[in-house]
Amino acid sequence: MERRAILEELKKVLYPYTENKELLENIDEHTALVKDLKINSANLVDIIIDAEAKYTIEIDFDSAEKIITVGDCINAIAEKIP
Amino acid sequence: MMHVGSDISTGKDMSAGNDIIALAETDNDRTSRYRFYSRILTPEELPLCDGLTGGELSFSSFVWLMWSIKESVYKYVSRADPGLRFAPLKIPVRGLRICEDHYEGIIRYGGLTMFSRSFLWDKVIMTVVSACEDFSNVRWGMEVIGNPDYTTQSALVRKFALHSLSTDLPGAALRIIKTLDGPPELWDDERSLDIPLSLAHHGPYVAWSYRLPAISSSYRKSAANRAASSHLRRVNLLEITGLNRSCSSCEYSS
Repeated sequence: MERRAILEELKKVLYPYTENKELLENIDEHTALVKDLKINSANLVDIIIDAEAKYTIEIDFDSAEKIITVGDCINAIAEKIP
Repeated sequence: MMHVGSDISTGKDMSAGNDIIALAETDNDRTSRYRFYSRILTPEELPLCDGLTGGELSFSSFVWLMWSIKESVYKYVSRADPGLRFAPLKIPVRGLRICEDHYEGIIRYGGLTMFSRSFLWDKVIMTVVSACEDFSNVRWGMEVIGNPDYTTQSALVRKFALHSLSTDLPGAALRIIKTLDGPPELWDDERSLDIPLSLAHHGPYVAWSYRLPAISSSYRKSAANRAASSHLRRVNLLEITGLNRSCSSCEYSS
């Protein structure tokens, strides 16, 4: 799956945790989940679990710790899907 | 990181860290699933929940209590290490006990020993951390603000923190500056103050924590810190009367 396609699907995962939907629509790989999208850090585990369920994958702890930006999320997903 | 660590190792509190969790914003069922809590708690930390006898703590509240401790520690140490990433499993809580109206924890992280105090009411958990077990000079507070948007939450937590600070530093022209990648900074007019500040908001709650400076000869020179010195003397009296109490009779669960 191309990174662009993962990004579009990731928007759906992030949607319930993002207050500013317009900002979400315009995210790119450099967008930081907490600092830019203002996602509460208490929702970071939710996002990982939702992404795992969406792609039927398991994101390991090391990869999860590296997730700061949308690009980090895409990396964690891309390395697990065929 | 090394700077903070070396100061903490000598018993000097150099930073501030806090967190707040609105339990209504969390999902009890999801939190109680292994897939969720195993990303927050290590196997060694799970028995800490069983050791909290005498409390009414559900497992999901325990998970969020531990999260708030770990997030507070992360905020504390990341002040000196802005590139640090929050990894809950790498911030081990070694002990946890009920102590009158709050929970006290011991955390060992990167060679440092830190202490936490968590206050759990019906729908909210608030935690503050310190490198000093007695939390001397650490101040904290919480307010309920309804459920406004992020910008309003951010503005209100600053307003409440400044109001609290103004009682400690009367006469100072205080303002809070948020740096791009770093923690909030407290300024008096055009001068940065050595008062680390930590802010948190979640759902309808905002919380703040800060550490007042130890009295030094250079610090006494400013009007603001003359006021702080006066306050610290007052605090010492309060400690003697037991208002800023510690709970040496309680045993840690570990």
